[in-house]
Amino acid sequence: MTETLRNAIKVERARRDLTQADLAVMAGVTRRSVNAIETGRMVPSVLLALKIARALGVTVETIFRLDDASG
Amino acid sequence: MNDRTEHPSEILQRFSRRNLYVVLVIVLLLGATGIALTVSPQGAVARSSQRAAWFIPVAIAIIAGVQTSLARRRWDPKSEEVQLILNDEWRRTNMARASRAALVTVLVAQTPLAWTFGFLTELPPVRLAFAMAISTITLGLATLLALFLIFDRE
Repeated sequence: MTETLRNAIKVERARRDLTQADLAVMAGVTRRSVNAIETGRMVPSVLLALKIARALGVTVETIFRLDDASG
Repeated sequence: MNDRTEHPSEILQRFSRRNLYVVLVIVLLLGATGIALTVSPQGAVARSSQRAAWFIPVAIAIIAGVQTSLARRRWDPKSEEVQLILNDEWRRTNMARASRAALVTVLVAQTPLAWTFGFLTELPPVRLAFAMAISTITLGLATLLALFLIFDRE
């Protein structure tokens, strides 16, 4: 069984009309980190996930979810 | 989505990447020169490096000039943007990956390097040790920098 972390950062950003740079400033991280997480190249730490969720005003579960791909 | 801004941390990161490319080239040049001098102390590289000794202070002056030309910004370790970059999770993750890969590369390369210098060049033991040390340091640093630049790209 393979587990993949999916995220809805792009959707939540678009809903609030925020750029990656805006979100990075709000969350206190670099834009590269936001970009890496959003494109699925990086799995964030719990701390970073909480920072992003707080910056977007949603829970962590709203942004991140596990997709189970059996096979 | 590719959002480009001129946030101070963006400028510093771009500058840092450019510096790392320069450092990589310098490491490779110094490593190659060191190995050439060790393997053949009387060779063409040794003669050229003696003639080019005057260039060292000029190179230091050029590097110092480049360091201070960052759009009138300095790499102040206490500034907010530098702290942001240094604590950046993506950067730390990439550095850790590059460090692990560089360590494995250096360990795996020991036998081929020893075989190359020991059998192909027939160096005396002291120079053989120097050649091994220089090539190991060069290989490790070059792998670390190159992989970090690859992992850290967008």
